[in-house]
Amino acid sequence: MKSGSRLEQILESGQFAVTAELGPPQGSDRAVVDKKLGLLDSVCDAINITDNQTAIVRMSSVAASAQVCQAGQEPVMQMTCRDRNRLAIQADIFGAVALGIRNLLCLSGDHQVFGNDAAAKNVYDLDSIHLLQMVTRMRDEGMTAAGTEIEGRVPLFVGAAANPFGDPFDFRPYRLGKKVAAGADFIQTQCIFDLPRFREYMKRVVDLGLHEKSHIMAGVMPLRSAGAARYINKGVPGISVPRGIIKRMSGAGKGKAARLEGRTICAEMIQEIQEIEGVHGVHIMAVEWEIAVKSIVRMAGLLPRPEVAPLDLAPDPEPAN
Amino acid sequence: MQARKRVVMGCARSAGVAMQNLRATGWSLPDDVEWVEMPCASAIAELHMMRAFESGAENVLVLSCHHGACRSLEGDERLARRVTAVQALLTEIGIAPSALVHQRMAPNMASDLRTWIASLGAPQPCLAHEQDAGEA
Amino acid sequence: MIVAERKPLPEIIESIAGVKKLLVVGCNTCVAVCLAGGEREVALLSSALRIAANKDGRELDILECCIERQCEQEYNREVAAEVADVEVVLSMACGVGVQTMAQQFPNAIIYPALNTTFMGQPDELGSWSERCLGCGNCVLAQFGGICPITRCAKNLLNGPCGGSADGRCEVDPEHLECAWQLIYDRLKAIGQLDRLMEITPAKDWSPSRHGGPRQIVREDVQA
Repeated sequence: MKSGSRLEQILESGQFAVTAELGPPQGSDRAVVDKKLGLLDSVCDAINITDNQTAIVRMSSVAASAQVCQAGQEPVMQMTCRDRNRLAIQADIFGAVALGIRNLLCLSGDHQVFGNDAAAKNVYDLDSIHLLQMVTRMRDEGMTAAGTEIEGRVPLFVGAAANPFGDPFDFRPYRLGKKVAAGADFIQTQCIFDLPRFREYMKRVVDLGLHEKSHIMAGVMPLRSAGAARYINKGVPGISVPRGIIKRMSGAGKGKAARLEGRTICAEMIQEIQEIEGVHGVHIMAVEWEIAVKSIVRMAGLLPRPEVAPLDLAPDPEPAN
Repeated sequence: MQARKRVVMGCARSAGVAMQNLRATGWSLPDDVEWVEMPCASAIAELHMMRAFESGAENVLVLSCHHGACRSLEGDERLARRVTAVQALLTEIGIAPSALVHQRMAPNMASDLRTWIASLGAPQPCLAHEQDAGEA
Repeated sequence: MIVAERKPLPEIIESIAGVKKLLVVGCNTCVAVCLAGGEREVALLSSALRIAANKDGRELDILECCIERQCEQEYNREVAAEVADVEVVLSMACGVGVQTMAQQFPNAIIYPALNTTFMGQPDELGSWSERCLGCGNCVLAQFGGICPITRCAKNLLNGPCGGSADGRCEVDPEHLECAWQLIYDRLKAIGQLDRLMEITPAKDWSPSRHGGPRQIVREDVQA
């Protein structure tokens, strides 16, 4: 085991993993995190804690992830390269491990032009692949980026994101290969609506043998309304929502009925995704709709979540092989 | 001598010809208008228009041939772009961009030319009665 | 070449508020080529400043000149008399030229009339795009002659990111091409796509401006 985390244990044991997402508050109010944690309790194997997502300032992912650990649940700490250089990233990783965090997702990060403070200077000292290389070196060789010895260990289960639908389409599986070569133990994809296209992507990923080196989890997002479906289809680059889904959402009406249809579609998608070779789990992105996750996971037949050995937070856990 | 308050610059092939025809009818240029003839509208540079304002002009009219009729092929287009650039400068200075006007014409449009000169710098129609009151 | 553009007029006018005698000095090299600070631009700006002064009833006497290359003291010497003769010098050179003038004439007040932006190329008449950030360690051979440091909004070395769609960069799809789509297409065309299969390691930023302001010394040509 590289970290002994719950997520790692479930994936390594061949069970289908479930992760969800939690956006920290735009401030210091820890009650916001507590409330969301309550909604996600026992519903997933680990919870992604975002890092100034879309370049909007929120409670840091280290702090919010530590709060998740305190509550007895398991975070996947997200870390972007936009706001921190390699020095700050390593410092945050040391702190994260000391506070009990055992899963890390390495991202390049959205450019600050998408956020609410475009005047900020960005960093991008490293890209997500460099981050993967650096963290796995910290974990497996006990060395910092500068080549100095680390005091203590860095037992982290390390992941990266993948966009199956971005351009250049032909190159995407090879870029995934680079992330795996750089050390990604697991991959979470961007949300999928176009199943046939995703199947095509996974076929190429399997051909490259990447599914044997890394655990790929498919990203899904429940739709709240037909309007949301149409907006995502038009407004988010690289993501298209098939007409069939938009039609179903339109037909479901508004409010409660629409939300139920959205959750149902999501659950059905999860069931279909489970059948795709090479997919080892699902990552549910119910943005500001954490309450939906429980019913989706239940409808998909994935409750209750499996039991695993508790996390070993001893000062010197087993070194990775 | 009082500085000319209005400047008209035009292409010899269209505006120049029309101007000759107008004068042949006995019409003459108003006292406050300076007429500048150029071989082609494309020779009217941004600096020429700016210098007109610098010399005290409050309104400037530049004239080119119709699109497609310019002997230099794109003279009117080039002038149009320069006019836009000068209007932007005027706006930055705090002068209304309408102080600079560009019209396209053919040599036989003498009466249009007379109208344009007459209305150059004149207040908007709805304020015309105030103008009369002022002059009374 | 260095690309710059004129500052907004209101900003320039405010910077010379109260000045009665001004020298506007252009540069005939980069900024002349990008139509921001050459002889013609000096004449236009001076004209605009006079029009503005006339409009406000302010007194303003403007001297105009243009130097071959304002970043070289040898050329700037030609205008020493004019510089001494005015209250303020408005330089239409790039930031380098402005600083050279300020260094060369330490008792003079030199203000910039331009915003210097980037090292770039003319794409077509009237349009210039950034091409080089001066990172100090050129890796263009690895990327088919397309710089990911400068042209990728996130300066990824192992791009593209998930925001590349239809060859455009999500940061500004209207104006920006995705550098990694360009790199991919170019390397494919020249038969070097295998370069993209290797991980490009993290950049050493110390030769760049991040390592501090830089200087190059060539002892072999020093006096």
